[in-house]
Amino acid sequence: MHAHKENHDFEPKIIAFVCTWCTYAGADLAGTSRMQYPANTRVVKFPCTGRIDPVFILRAFQKGADGVLVSGCHPGDCHYMAGNFHARRRFAAFRALLDFIGVDLQRLQFSWVSAAEGGKWVEVATELTERVRALGPMREFKELEAEEQWSGVIDTPELQEAYNNIP
Amino acid sequence: MTNSAQTIDPALYAAVTDAVRAEARKVLESGAVAAVVGWQAGRRAGTAMPTIVTDPAKAADLIFSPACVNNLALYLTKAKKEVRGKGKIAIVAKGCDLKALVGLMGENQLKREELHIIGVVCAGVQGAAADRSLPLSEATIAGKCRECTVHTPENTDVTVGTLTELPHFTPTESAELARLEAMTPAERWSFWKEHFSRCIRCYACRQVCPFCYCEQCLCDRNRPQAVETTPRPAGNMAWHIVRAMHLAGRCAGCAECERACPMDIPLNLLNRKMARELKELYGHEAGFKPKEKGPLAEYREDDDQSFIK
Repeated sequence: MHAHKENHDFEPKIIAFVCTWCTYAGADLAGTSRMQYPANTRVVKFPCTGRIDPVFILRAFQKGADGVLVSGCHPGDCHYMAGNFHARRRFAAFRALLDFIGVDLQRLQFSWVSAAEGGKWVEVATELTERVRALGPMREFKELEAEEQWSGVIDTPELQEAYNNIP
Repeated sequence: MTNSAQTIDPALYAAVTDAVRAEARKVLESGAVAAVVGWQAGRRAGTAMPTIVTDPAKAADLIFSPACVNNLALYLTKAKKEVRGKGKIAIVAKGCDLKALVGLMGENQLKREELHIIGVVCAGVQGAAADRSLPLSEATIAGKCRECTVHTPENTDVTVGTLTELPHFTPTESAELARLEAMTPAERWSFWKEHFSRCIRCYACRQVCPFCYCEQCLCDRNRPQAVETTPRPAGNMAWHIVRAMHLAGRCAGCAECERACPMDIPLNLLNRKMARELKELYGHEAGFKPKEKGPLAEYREDDDQSFIK
């Protein structure tokens, strides 16, 4: 029989942007080794961390992600020689920018996970999921997304009253 | 130390104006350049507007005054191809404009040998909302000029004017930056949310930026769409984050975006923050040396990675 699973009130959505050569293989190894980690992680595969544009992270948050994980090869192991070195600088700058805008950086995790580190993948994914679960849903971007979305607020009291007053 | 009564002597600008006219006539008459990009008096008193002079007789139209706010480097970018098609161009540049020119050279958008740079010593220009009839003072000077470090442009073909001792101005931008940094993330979020919600997506900040010369902006693409184009708060937030990110390490702080913004969004705060962050992280300052890679275009193997697990 399956072990009893605890039900949570809130299941965070975690988007993981991973590089195909290291972290994707590492996550695959975790799977083939039958290691358990929260099923909240949605993996999106990229050729390299250097291909991961900060816009992707932004868009993930806007479209409902509660946490984002970006993971690739360890420095020096990049399949394209220097993709992850460039990514490292870009994400350092992007983190500073997000912090300045007022985004909670605890929801954004960067990691190096090699193809042999299935265990580390499990650890990183679990840690981020549990941290985001404790933080609760990412409200900022979702609220922004709902703002001035006229179709969403069609049921205002004013409109209701106007509707009721139709003879 | 700050004295609101202190003003900058207009004689400085008059002397620069004469020297710019003389230099422009000289280079146009000798045929060294095909055109001079500079400022001329605007139609309303006390204003100025960019101009391109090709006739030596018209060199006397050129002026330099506290109203010469525009960054003329914009006219040499890809966005304005017809200007560069004329041949060698002379450009009148303040210290902050020169930083943009240097940045564009570093990005292979301009060649130094195709330019004749007439550097002007600049004590400051007017702020966006300033009364044009008043001399420059604490009340009328632009935010960027309060903390200017490049009053005298360097490595130009010719630099005109002499700098007099300047009054001390309150550094409003650094103060505002420090105030924001001291806030909690939630307070900063509501600060920017309020500002960005006003944005009407006119893209004036993009059109006026010398570094936004991409022929197709990522934010205009719609298959796939990276940034929502509707002027809703969600898309506005994304646009301003992307804009700040794409200028990080390149922006030299001419603050034209902030000046051009019709909704008075403090855009230069973002630019300043990113410039400072990249200086702290990688010791890079934009706009001083051409032919250098920007901090996000190069790397070192021992870069900080304390934020990566």
